[in-house]
Amino acid sequence: MRTLTTAVRTALATTITAVGLTASLSAQTASASDIEALREQIRLLDQKLRVLERNTELKDETATAAAKTAGKVAFTDKGLTFSSGDGANSLRVRGLVQADSRWFANDHVAANDTFILRRARLILEGAFNKNFEYLITPEFAGTTPSIVDAFVNVKIRPEFQIRAGRFREPVGLEQLQSDAVAFFNERSVVSSYLPNRDVGIQIHGDLFTNRLNYAVGYFNGVEDGQNGANSDNSNEKDFAARLFATPFINNKDSALAGLGFGVGASAGSQNGSSNGTLAYRTDGQQTWFSYNGAGTPIPYGNNYRISPQAYYYYGPFGLLAEYAVTSAEWRNTNGTNRRNLQNTAYQIAAGYVLTGEDAGYKGVTPRTNFDLDNGTWGAFEVVARFSQADVDSGAFTGATPLAVRTSRASGATGYGLGLNWYLSKTVRAGVDYFHTSFDVPAGVNPAINSPIDGDENVFITRLQIAF
Amino acid sequence: MKFKSLLTSLLAVVAVTAATAKDIELLNVSYDPTRELYVEYNAAFSAYWKGKTGDTVTVKQSHGGSGKQARSVIDGLKADVVTLALANDVSAISKNAGLLPANWQERLPLGSAPYTSTIVFLVRKSSPFYGKIKDWNDLTQSGLAVITPNPKTSGGAQWNYLAAWEFGRRKYGSDEKAQEFVKSIYKNVPVLDSGARGSTTTFVQRGIGDVFLSWENEAFLAVKEFGADKFEIVVPSLSILAQPTVAVVDKVAKRKGTEAVAKAYLEYLYSDEAQDIIGKNYYRPTSAAAKAKYAASFPKVELFTIDDAFGGWTKAAATHFADGGTFDQIYLKK
Repeated sequence: MRTLTTAVRTALATTITAVGLTASLSAQTASASDIEALREQIRLLDQKLRVLERNTELKDETATAAAKTAGKVAFTDKGLTFSSGDGANSLRVRGLVQADSRWFANDHVAANDTFILRRARLILEGAFNKNFEYLITPEFAGTTPSIVDAFVNVKIRPEFQIRAGRFREPVGLEQLQSDAVAFFNERSVVSSYLPNRDVGIQIHGDLFTNRLNYAVGYFNGVEDGQNGANSDNSNEKDFAARLFATPFINNKDSALAGLGFGVGASAGSQNGSSNGTLAYRTDGQQTWFSYNGAGTPIPYGNNYRISPQAYYYYGPFGLLAEYAVTSAEWRNTNGTNRRNLQNTAYQIAAGYVLTGEDAGYKGVTPRTNFDLDNGTWGAFEVVARFSQADVDSGAFTGATPLAVRTSRASGATGYGLGLNWYLSKTVRAGVDYFHTSFDVPAGVNPAINSPIDGDENVFITRLQIAF
Repeated sequence: MKFKSLLTSLLAVVAVTAATAKDIELLNVSYDPTRELYVEYNAAFSAYWKGKTGDTVTVKQSHGGSGKQARSVIDGLKADVVTLALANDVSAISKNAGLLPANWQERLPLGSAPYTSTIVFLVRKSSPFYGKIKDWNDLTQSGLAVITPNPKTSGGAQWNYLAAWEFGRRKYGSDEKAQEFVKSIYKNVPVLDSGARGSTTTFVQRGIGDVFLSWENEAFLAVKEFGADKFEIVVPSLSILAQPTVAVVDKVAKRKGTEAVAKAYLEYLYSDEAQDIIGKNYYRPTSAAAKAKYAASFPKVELFTIDDAFGGWTKAAATHFADGGTFDQIYLKK
């Protein structure tokens, strides 16, 4: 409008000049009163134009001021966001759907070939007064809806935040990575050695301009790889803490900008627990180890876990590695067999984005979307992983062993290969092949159709939308 | 030994003072034309307070149409003090948000009005109407463009409106005729800014209009800044005694722990130093000394008060500026 009125003003000036010239040329014939009338007419026109311009200016100012306070709604590939004009209060609705299928090469395994709705989540997150953040994630993929995450985060400073509710314990590297962006469709065996989600309270923050992230939490406590229930069944609690450094994160041009390393740990006691639900799983999600011995083994005593971890991303290349040692006391409920057991696992995974996009802990953003009409295909990434896990031999010893030899292995070694196709920022398809072999002592014949009755070879496919 | 003890004591006093000195921040939410006044006053008060307590006070200023500013405070703007154009706007904060008591005007001298002002005409010398505008009734001339802000958002505009109304009532004998008179003035208003400073921009910088109904201090500033060759101040035969009022926003100040300094900030407006600054900035001071000093600066004009002519702000606001009031009747039907 400003440009328009400027153009009109220019036109008016030209007209005025022309009129002025005409007036001057015909000055001999025009009377003084005619010229005066013309001048007045021009003045009035100029005033009208100025008023028009000013009213437009005021309207723009009002609109700008109103826009600052008016609520906003935005629908992007990050979800549907409602926010107040100043952005201090917000609600973002996000979603995650993972439609999987699993195909086992050996028909004798316990698990069936299946299509499975792995995750179907609605994620509601936002903030009040900028610093009071919240997140609620219902899960609809199970037999009954459940709450996966629900927490309040009070952001006193970026360096000092308090979070309370149900969320991931700050220990495992891959465990803390979003479900939608990991290299593979399923996390490695290491994640089943470390605690998953739990109910508790945590202090955390980013220090030294995001170069160091810390978290210290106090939780109900869970067994390896498990999610905590809404309430505890014992008075004992677990501490969890993690320090993770990304010292070159602000040096964007450095080859080390994508380097991160740290250590996560937890410690506590689970006396009196009646859970006993620990399960170490293969990539195909079969349980190759659990305390399934006679007398319903339960965790009973002190436990700790330590997990050194690191990742490195450089351009399209990504590497992630972690190690876990988990120690816990277990016993039969009748107390006839009580042991302190120490299990270990590690994994190393790598990926390479064939189409050249940057890889990262938070995923890959394709440069183009899959669109046949435009001849664009999105991004492709190849991934590989090797993992090994061991179980304390004490789990199988004693008159009433805590685990049964014929259905549980004392170790598992696996590798996986995969291809991820990023059709857009929100849609990803992937196919993975996993091979897992089990440590079964000579002379032990695994039960027929038990998960460890032969190597596991499985294809897992996924079509996912995450926004 | 005595000298040593004295020195030790002095050092202790200095150390204690240094250790307890505070940095305090106040927010003064004011109306449009007071920017320059409070820039100068804030500096003076900070120096005074530093000398008195050792604390460093920084006063932040917020300006806009008086009514709009009051609404911002009601909606949550954390003002320690308000210095608004109308007592009614301060009362609105008390009534609608309960941030200060209803008797706030009794807490400071002169009904919490440490300075006054009035409404004058600023006439453009290049206008064909120059020389033809002497009083309120000249504002109804056909073709004349009058600049005044929106009384719905601007305190200054309400003073303008009421001054014109009272002139009309006295000249033509009734409220009905006064309404017709004011209506004929508003027929000549091409732009309604939300505040007085916006109207100054419209008139002075954008070159719109023949006459601007202006706060006296704004008129003086415009002449000073843009030259007496461009504008002339015309004083009508009758005008209104504008009494901008000030108040501590108790609940906000209490929450921020600034009650004492906020109170002192307003009380200091009545001091000799502040009254001098007020006079220098073309507001009419209230202390006898400053009044005498600046008497020659201000034109003589018959002034009436809102209480005398309209029975106070509450009544005037309800009759003229509330939804459906006389302004709505005049302007919506324009």
